[in-house]
Amino acid sequence: MSSPKIPTARSGRVESFSYDDEIVKLFVIATMIWGVIALLLGVTIAFQLADWRVNLGLPWTTFGRLRPLHTNAAIFAFCGNAIFAGVYYSHQRLLRARLFNDVLSRIHFWGWQLIIVSAALTLPFGITTGKEYAELEWPIDIAITLIWVIFAVNFFGTIVRRRERHIYVAIWFYIATIITVAVLHIVNSLEIPVSLFKSYSLYAGVQDALVQWWYGHNAVAFFLTTPFLGLMYYFIPKAANRPVYSYRLSIIHFWSLVFIYIWAGPHHLLYTTLPEWAQTLGMVFSIMLWMPSWGGMINGLMTLRGVWDKVRTEPSLRFMATALTFYGMATFEGPLLSIKSVNAIAHFTDWIPGHVHSGTIGWNYMLIAGIFFYLVPKLWDTELHSKKMAHQQFWLATIGLVLYIISMWVAGVTQSLMWRAMDDAGNLVYPNFIETVVKIVPMYWIRAVGGTMILISFILMMINLYKTAKAGKKLAPVVYESLPLDDSSLEPHASVHRKLEGWPMIFAVLSLIAILVGSGIEIIPSLVADKYVVKVSTVKPYSPLELYGRDIYIKEGCYLCHSQTVRPMAHEVVRYGKASNAAEFVYDHPFQWGSKRTGPDLARIGGKYPNMWHYKHFYDPREVTQGSLMPQYTWLFNSKIDYKTLPKKLSVMKQLGVPYSESEITNAVAMAQAQAKTISDDLAQSGVPVKVAEMDIIALIAYMQRLGVDYGSSQEGEE
Amino acid sequence: MSQGEEKEKLHVEEDEKHLLLDHNYDNIHELNHPLPSWWNAIFLVSVIYGTAYFFYYQVFGGPTLKEEFHTEYGRVLAAQTEFKKLNGVFSQSFYDGIVKNDGVKKGEEVYELNCMPCHMENGKGDVGPNLTDKHWIVAKGNPDSIHHVVFHGSEANGMPAWGELIKKDEVYQAVAYVMTFRNTFVKGKEPQGEIVED
Ligand code: HEC
Ligand code: HEC
Repeated sequence: MSSPKIPTARSGRVESFSYDDEIVKLFVIATMIWGVIALLLGVTIAFQLADWRVNLGLPWTTFGRLRPLHTNAAIFAFCGNAIFAGVYYSHQRLLRARLFNDVLSRIHFWGWQLIIVSAALTLPFGITTGKEYAELEWPIDIAITLIWVIFAVNFFGTIVRRRERHIYVAIWFYIATIITVAVLHIVNSLEIPVSLFKSYSLYAGVQDALVQWWYGHNAVAFFLTTPFLGLMYYFIPKAANRPVYSYRLSIIHFWSLVFIYIWAGPHHLLYTTLPEWAQTLGMVFSIMLWMPSWGGMINGLMTLRGVWDKVRTEPSLRFMATALTFYGMATFEGPLLSIKSVNAIAHFTDWIPGHVHSGTIGWNYMLIAGIFFYLVPKLWDTELHSKKMAHQQFWLATIGLVLYIISMWVAGVTQSLMWRAMDDAGNLVYPNFIETVVKIVPMYWIRAVGGTMILISFILMMINLYKTAKAGKKLAPVVYESLPLDDSSLEPHASVHRKLEGWPMIFAVLSLIAILVGSGIEIIPSLVADKYVVKVSTVKPYSPLELYGRDIYIKEGCYLCHSQTVRPMAHEVVRYGKASNAAEFVYDHPFQWGSKRTGPDLARIGGKYPNMWHYKHFYDPREVTQGSLMPQYTWLFNSKIDYKTLPKKLSVMKQLGVPYSESEITNAVAMAQAQAKTISDDLAQSGVPVKVAEMDIIALIAYMQRLGVDYGSSQEGEE
Repeated sequence: MSQGEEKEKLHVEEDEKHLLLDHNYDNIHELNHPLPSWWNAIFLVSVIYGTAYFFYYQVFGGPTLKEEFHTEYGRVLAAQTEFKKLNGVFSQSFYDGIVKNDGVKKGEEVYELNCMPCHMENGKGDVGPNLTDKHWIVAKGNPDSIHHVVFHGSEANGMPAWGELIKKDEVYQAVAYVMTFRNTFVKGKEPQGEIVED
């Protein structure tokens, strides 16, 4: 159908065209398949925290390896495919043009699925960079870049061929997404390969943390928020048959959101050794972000003005309205959590996973459900199979999510208060970390039950949509007619922004500039300022064996349960030891500060226990700590250290600026073997067989015993 | 129904007809409501607050996180020193009181909870030394010296300072329980340290 207001005076040949809806269908199907897998993985790791036995004792099913798979599947596979489905459907219609190139669309689709499959084939085997939400190793990083570029070409190519002069607000959000995700991904993934499956981050310590959380936070912003706001702007007015509430609000909240969001990353690093001005920027921009975020919610919900009765009866609207409500909740909670004093309590606790899931489940899953209940009947030209089933799904998902959020809130606050409780004598009230773990295990059970309900709700949706599609008819594509773009659609007296909407490429450049301002101000000083991190001479690079152990630590995903940074707070210093110093991390490619303390901080674990303690603990944590929920790492006792990889590892580190000497590189193997022997000799005194000297476990113990020692035992920074 | 054809008419409320713009994208229309005044107000306040906060703490010398930490930690250290002065020294009369008050039995519980992982059942030793022989590394086999090592630990060698971790009574109870191992010579870890005769 063409626009109802083709001026009669227009000349030119009428063009006929159709939309590529087959590609949309493919992405819809992929979304559903990856969605159920992502949720299944989430439920699995939720039960693992409630009962360690669910780790199954196998390397590839332990928490540390499945958790990255869950997050990658949820974000990039489930949400990613949904974005592509929704964008490709709406983009063509909003521009009245078929997608730029059908072949590119197919390469985009299959390439993306291949990337996901390769994630599933690497992460469980411990092939990971150890950077949260950017775990995929370098060959996959390159593939992601290529496919993203193909998406961009297809997207902007369609814009070039458009028959609609001005781009609608949904497309503004898509543009910001495509540009920013490209920048984030490329900058954060810079790394030097050691082998096909292993690389080290270009950045170290504080700088790596800054880049990583600039990425991590904005992955939430530009992968889970802006594209979905764009989709919301298309599908809510369509499904409700209502005009969008406020064009003016669209403009203001779009630009403020895009400009402000990018600054907020450092709120993940409050109280760390990141320079304080950067932390403060992260906090204040997060607070300023509150209203720009709510602008989207207001525009969405107010668009439903006058049709609230339909929200009750139409599954599509009901899910979308709920999604906006959760979006509003999450974007209120986010700024709240960024306030330093609140963050001091919430950071490292379960409150954060609770917060994240009000976003990913409440906002993303609910919105996707709403969109698909509109889209699938349209694509397959039929009616939704069962409204009743959709409503059952709705209640299951909502109650499951509320259980999730509340249990994690209670767990987080309870545990945090226990961590910080001190008596009059200046001693911790709960000095044994495990007491604070055992206390919240019931909450882990509630969360797991909530998660299961969400999973079941999703399966209901799969059945519902499958039956819908199956009842559908396959029709020949509809052919539309329209005149090509000509001067008649120019609006010479329009406002500046309206004109800008007619210049999509300039629009894209402006949004690039908007995100580069904050990025540059926060990141560039860390790259150029000598004094950004003041070195401490006692901090030396890891020995070859310790470096090897560190790679095991990364491989096993220990960083997903343990932090390595002591915050400057009395209770932390009493519990763990001296507060961390930026200089301690200068050789850490990548940094391993972590974001969650399911177990205690390990920044000062070196020398805290004898080797034998670790040996027994890794074999069976419960033998030394009653009630521990840490998984067993029995396989590390049977797999041999691959000594020959060491020289290459050291030389890549040297390339990255770690001061290893040539002789250390050539003698890496001998040095490592000698150190392994010292440890295994010590263990042998307690009756451990000598042959363990060759096993991975020795390298991991060596790493543990090194952590925090250089600075922890120095006079530097003493009271 | 074929795609693109709308079954229903666009739903516009009476009071907003005048706000309808002349935009049409795939039949999506736009109104131009003014920004809610509370939205404007909160946004403005957040920007002012954010700017003021930044300038106060980063430019005009407001206390840094480190300074706030030093104040807080100073208080804790003072309290700890005071506590050690009061409780770190062995008191025979307090010990006797604890022993009389079921100290050994309570000590067994304390031991199981805290000491077992390293000293094992009956004190036969594993990560920590055997506590049942005549050999002693740091302690001397009497309540006074055992209290000293339990309270202050031997942290360089892996024995935690329990004085900071468990209650005063519990330290004494553990000592009372450890005293019952004396000369039981349970087979376990080889003797370490020097012989101390009673
Ligand atoms: C599922 C979360 C989880 C994972 C994954 C995990 N841990 Fe733990 N870890 C814990 C918990 C909980 C504790 C506290 C109870 C205990 O001592 O076992 C702990 C304790 C520890 C401790 C003792 C710390 C102290 O100060 O007492 C060390 C050391 C440790 N873990 C190392 C590791 C390493 C190395 C890995 C990876 C190979 C790892 N952990 C993986 C949860 C985890
Ligand atoms: C993390 C392991 C660990 C735990 C837990 C532990 N100890 Fe020890 N303990 C040691 C080690 C190691 C030594 C030897 C210290 C040294 O060589 O200086 C030791 C030494 C001792 C000694 C002195 C032995 C000697 O030969 O001088 C006593 C007494 C003792 N521990 C009692 C306790 C009691 C009571 C508890 C529980 C409240 C406890 N230990 C818990 C590891 C531990």
